[in-house]
Formats: sequence, structure tokens, C-alpha cells
Amino acid sequence: MSAPSAEERRTCWGARDAFWRCLDDNQEDRDRCAQLQKQFESSCPAQWVKYFHKRRDFLKYKEKLLTDGYEPVGQSAES
Amino acid sequence: AVYQVQRSLSMTFGSCHRLKYMNNGLFKIAGPMDRHKLCCSSFSLPRPFSQGAPNGTSPKSTSTPRIKLKTRLLVTLIFGGSILATWYFVRSEKEKKEQLRRIEQLRKVAIGQGDFDLVDHHGRPRTKKDFLGQWVLMYFGFTHCPDICPDELEKMSSVVSILDEHQELPRVQPIFVTVDPERDDIKAMASYVKDFHPRLLGLTGTPEQVKAAGKAYRVYYSMGPKDDDNDYIVDHTIIIYLLNPDGLFLDYYNRSKSDKQIAESIKKHMQTYVKLFT
Repeated sequence: MSAPSAEERRTCWGARDAFWRCLDDNQEDRDRCAQLQKQFESSCPAQWVKYFHKRRDFLKYKEKLLTDGYEPVGQSAES
Repeated sequence: AVYQVQRSLSMTFGSCHRLKYMNNGLFKIAGPMDRHKLCCSSFSLPRPFSQGAPNGTSPKSTSTPRIKLKTRLLVTLIFGGSILATWYFVRSEKEKKEQLRRIEQLRKVAIGQGDFDLVDHHGRPRTKKDFLGQWVLMYFGFTHCPDICPDELEKMSSVVSILDEHQELPRVQPIFVTVDPERDDIKAMASYVKDFHPRLLGLTGTPEQVKAAGKAYRVYYSMGPKDDDNDYIVDHTIIIYLLNPDGLFLDYYNRSKSDKQIAESIKKHMQTYVKLFT
């Protein structure tokens, strides 16, 4: 299996960005972005889809860290 | 106040004989005298207090100390100057020696460091020796890479383009080394690198050769789990390396550096570069 070409990469990234924007606008509700998710998953290799889902989680987590600060696990209930 | 003056006097002219006379309460009379007269006209020792009279000042007694001060200053300057000059000379000699020693050490390092034995995307064998005399930007990645490798290769291409605009600077050779030799054969590399800078050279090889090259540059890479259609992602070090014309690793740039910052840094390296091999 050969690697995606530059054209295929661009198509995949475009679909990913559209899907991510939709998630941003709909408080991460995947049901409301089902159409775009389908589009995204059909435009990218399966491995990339998995990778980008994880990547979004990571980026969201990073953003949360930067805006809300670090919250140690299990201490939020006590404080 | 008297005590203070006495103290400062004895500190300044501690060896002066006159002070012996002043210790037994007579100092008040000596008070109006200026320091030079107190100490430096040693001929008047037997008549210590006559100099204290306001009319006791002669042109000679005021000019002598001034000349002496000048002479003293001059001697100090000459001595101090020559000591400084000697120190400076010794230091610069030492620095020169140190620099030569450093170049010798670097030479030794440069010969053995960062060797690789790979094949470029035209099928030509390539080793580090082929790039001696050239500035090299090197990035490790793989063609199935979802986003980071294309981003970084695009950035590297942009850096080369920025530097190409400066006619006076030497050309930089961008190199892309795969960490996924199983899938990235010569053909795959050839079709991949053409999306980036026209001078970008793709390097691949046997898994062992790639492993050796990665080790030479302290690059980490690890294959992720394979899915149903045998696709997988390779986790790897994301760093762009800069090698100088001696083949010596000089600097590295991580993801946070922009194309402009990297180009600026390389420009500085080019300006301060000292050739090791002639």
C-alpha cells in the first residue's frame, strides 16, 4: 500500500478540519457532525483517522491545561 | 576630628618620622599644615613646627610634590601598562592554543560522527562523505506520516527557499531519511520527495542501514501496531538537524521553531563557521 499523495493528504486534512470545526461548534457532539465524520473517515487512511482522533483529544487536553491549569487526578473532589 | 585627621595621616604617610612629634598633643598646631609639607620635606625635621606658619610656604615646597606625583603616576602607568600588556599577550597566546586544540578535537569528532550508508531516491548509494563541503539539513520521518512529517518537510523546504534568496550564502542540501524502510523503498521515496523542495533528497536502505543511521543521529523510532490492512504509524523523533560542511552536527531545530527562525539561525552559523579541513 503506497502512501497518500500530496493531493490525498490535502483532501484528508480538509475533511479533518471541517469535522473538527463542527465538533468545536457543537460542544464535541459527534452525532451532530455525523455527516462530516463520515466524510473525514472516508477521505483518510484508517490509521490516520485513529491517529487524528487521538490527536484531537491530546490537543484539547493541552488547551485545557493551558487555560485551566494543571489539576491533579483525584484532588478536584477534595478541594 | 583631630583623631580622624591623625588617622588618615598615619594611614597615608605611615612611615613618616614627623608623626612621632605629633603624637604628644602637639598635633593641633600642626593642624593647618598641608599633608605634603608635613611629610615630604624631611630636611626640616629638627624644626617641625616652623613649617606650620602661613608664611613658611616656598614655591619649591609646593612644586616638588606635584612633580613627584606626576612621576609617580607615570611610573605607575608604565609599570601597570606593561603588566597589562604582558597579561594580555599571554592570554591571547593561550586562547590561540586553546582554539587550535579545539579544532583538532573537532576534526577527530567530525571524521567518525554521524556516518550513514544509504541509497537516495534515484537509487544511488550515499554516505556522509558525499555531502562534505555542503551545508545539510536532515530530517527523519516516513512517507505514511499523517501530519507532522509533511509539516516539517514543508518547513524545511521553506527554510531552504528563504536561504536560496541570499545569493551570497552557500546552498543548503535538504535530506529526508526514512525510519520506515519496509514500506519506503526507492520508488516510494521518489514519489514522496517531489511534493517538497526540488533539491530534497530522500534516503532509504535496509532496516539495518536505517537503524545505524538513526543511531548515529540519536533518533528514536518505534513502529506502532498494525491494523487490518497492514497499515501502521511510526512514532519517531521530530528534529531537523543542521550539519556543517565538515559533516559535523552543528545545531538542531524542534517543532516550535519557525522557518524564519531556522533560516536566521543557519545564516548566523554560516557567518561564524570556521573550516576544519583544508
